[in-house]
Amino acid sequence: MATPMVYLENLTKTRSQSESVFELQVSSFAVYPGQLIAVIGESGCGKSTLLDLVALVMAPTRVAKFQVSSSTGTPHDVAKLWEQGDESKLARLRRDHFGYVLQTGGLLPFLTVRHNIGLPGRVKGMGTDEKRLHSLAKRLGVAHCLDRMPISLSIGQRQRVAILRALAHQPQLVLADEPTASVDKARARSIMEDMHTLAREEGVAVVVVTHDVDLIYERADAICSFETTQVSEQVSLSVCQQEQVK
Amino acid sequence: MKSRPLALIPGLAAAHLRHEWILTLCLVIALAAVISPLLVLMGLKHGTIQTLRERLVEDPIFREIRPAQTREFQPQWFESLSAHPGIGFLTPTILPLSSVINIVPTGQSKAELLDLIPTAPGDPLLLENNGAIPMDGEVVLSSEAARRLGVQAGKEIIARVTRSRSGKSENAEIRLKVAAVLDSRAGSLARVYAPLSFVLDVEAYKEGYAAPARGWAGDTPEPYASFDGAVLLLTEPLEPIHKTGLIINTGFGRISDLPLDKASALLGFPVPGQFTAYDLGAPGASITISNLKAIEQKLRGQTRLLLPYALNISLEHNGQSIRPVGLSLDQDQAALLGLPPSPWGAFGQNLPKGKLLTSVLWPQKEDQGEDNQSIQVSSSGIHSLNFPLHITGTSTLTSPVVPVDLMGVLRTATQRGVLFNEESGRFEMSRGGYRGFRLYAQSIDHVPDLYHMLKEEGIEVVAEVEAIERIRVLDQGLGRLFWLIALLGLFGGTAVLVASLYAAVERRRRDLGVLRLLGFARRHVFFFPVVQGILIASLGLVAGFLGYGSLALAINRSFATELGQGESFCVLPQSYIVLFCLVTLILSGLASLAAAWRATRIDPAEVIREQ
Repeated sequence: MATPMVYLENLTKTRSQSESVFELQVSSFAVYPGQLIAVIGESGCGKSTLLDLVALVMAPTRVAKFQVSSSTGTPHDVAKLWEQGDESKLARLRRDHFGYVLQTGGLLPFLTVRHNIGLPGRVKGMGTDEKRLHSLAKRLGVAHCLDRMPISLSIGQRQRVAILRALAHQPQLVLADEPTASVDKARARSIMEDMHTLAREEGVAVVVVTHDVDLIYERADAICSFETTQVSEQVSLSVCQQEQVK
Repeated sequence: MKSRPLALIPGLAAAHLRHEWILTLCLVIALAAVISPLLVLMGLKHGTIQTLRERLVEDPIFREIRPAQTREFQPQWFESLSAHPGIGFLTPTILPLSSVINIVPTGQSKAELLDLIPTAPGDPLLLENNGAIPMDGEVVLSSEAARRLGVQAGKEIIARVTRSRSGKSENAEIRLKVAAVLDSRAGSLARVYAPLSFVLDVEAYKEGYAAPARGWAGDTPEPYASFDGAVLLLTEPLEPIHKTGLIINTGFGRISDLPLDKASALLGFPVPGQFTAYDLGAPGASITISNLKAIEQKLRGQTRLLLPYALNISLEHNGQSIRPVGLSLDQDQAALLGLPPSPWGAFGQNLPKGKLLTSVLWPQKEDQGEDNQSIQVSSSGIHSLNFPLHITGTSTLTSPVVPVDLMGVLRTATQRGVLFNEESGRFEMSRGGYRGFRLYAQSIDHVPDLYHMLKEEGIEVVAEVEAIERIRVLDQGLGRLFWLIALLGLFGGTAVLVASLYAAVERRRRDLGVLRLLGFARRHVFFFPVVQGILIASLGLVAGFLGYGSLALAINRSFATELGQGESFCVLPQSYIVLFCLVTLILSGLASLAAAWRATRIDPAEVIREQ
């Protein structure tokens, strides 16, 4: 098998909020190119935490190995970057290799749809491929709202635009955090399907966090699940397991 | 294409401000509401002070310091004063009465009596009133003078100087070109401005002297001979009662018996034994021919010799000091003393003419003592003198013998300015002091210092010191007031900006978190509020200047009647505007720092899931 794009081993993340302490343990987690990985679990099990860790916006408390590799270059030692606090380097990894779809889209309200979609590409320093953008927009059915402000879109449209934005700058990995949580089941299925198809066509790996197993189960290449135990009154522990499905 | 996230920040920040345009507009208006009044205040302060100052600065009258009394000012005084800092222009003037001149426009006969005022290069009264500095042969007229004469610049006029000398009326004429006519602001009197040299020549001519350079005939200001005392030799001694009576009303103050050996030492030759000698003196004063004549008058009919002497007169020749004997004897006097008569004749009313005054009888034993030769000598005095002595014969004495007149002239030269004119071969009295001055300070700010300095020197002067100091006080007062208000305004404006920018960051935490997620680093989002602060400040400046501009226009319009051409009550110089903008932008940048710091502290993981 090829080199994993994201690989981490023996990661612990401890979060404490007032009295209660939550600890997430991941023995190993890997994302290979083109894979669709579903992160499934009840709310509060730590799936968003796992996503933020992979998204390089949350520092792990402890980690044995944490690498992000591009398709061409050498692997980057993320554990070391966090240790050094090299925030700029992490930001560069984020903008060069990752795309994001947030629960409510996460579109910038002060930019038009077109500018929102173009932004990751501009941050990365590549020009916007208008033709590609337009055909992608057509595929997602949002071609007619490119020059509108996000506020004027329906929630479904916003999620599709968010998917478009996550893919526009040709990342290697798209991280989606409950992308369909705020739409009805039928729309959710169609959105998920579109995202999966496009990702497959573009050869982009996708990590999807969802609490809805049905939506993703048949498509996923690997599934991460969580086992939560209440260690004491204050401390709860969640252990993440990754298991290859296909 | 290279990745330059920082370059995207200004566009994003601007898009954000545009999106929230109502809030942005409120902020801009709030800033403009601070900036406009500040600018108007600054403009009013600057404009009024500027107008008041310019009215003073523009008119050289306010820089003039005039003497309030006529007294004598020595050339050295002018030299040292002109080196003083703050002096813009300084020229000596002459006695007002000597400066009246008749001017006739060419082709007319009616003369106008006008005041003649000296000028020189740099004269601000002329240069700043549309005039020019007249060259030799030119004059500049005041507007009143031009009106009376009916001439304009470029025309010729004839200056006629009149005097009466020994009962006869004389006059000299010179054609002069009118170089310029001054604006009426330069003064309402009819005046003629001419180079100092011309004015001095006019003065000299009026006093009876010649001005050879202009071909004006007259006397040369000859120095007179003065002495320390005189030795009276009598064949019959004076009765004591006559002795004291002798000097009454003669100008002498003292008469004493003089042993013959002392008389010989004083006079420089042995006095024959048949004489009784008296020393006549006037302590602290000089003896002149009239004093001697008064004594001669009293001793009429007696056999006597009255020989004036000057003490401490020596000449330098080839580095050697010579002490000549001054002796002017006619045939009879010479016979009495057993000496040869002087070739230059007896001492009298007039100085020996021409070269006779500088003749010398050289002692025989000296090698160079040949006839018809001259030797160059020098003497010290107010001015050091260099002149030739013409050897006309041999001296029977051990010292060189010169006319006693020469000794008297050399003594005068130790007390008054005497020059030797090499061309004419004659001694001349040099000009004494001047009778006044025209003084302009470099700027009105220099006037008070100069004014007080001259007053301390004991010179009564007049200047517009109060008007200048009044403005200075007003400027300082208004300046302090402005800074107080400005401080308050700046404080308020900055506080508004700090609060709004900080609030904007708090409000937009999620968007800033998303930006971080999209690949912007902490140091990039730092500039988001900074750019916003500067943008808002720039818009506030534009709005503020618009407000200021319209208000300034209204103010200047409403005061238009009180203002002259080009004057305005509310005006800001370019440098102020640039400085104000710079300070505002820097302050807005500083005001955004708190918000910028807050922006960098945002943790994307915490905010991206906020609704």
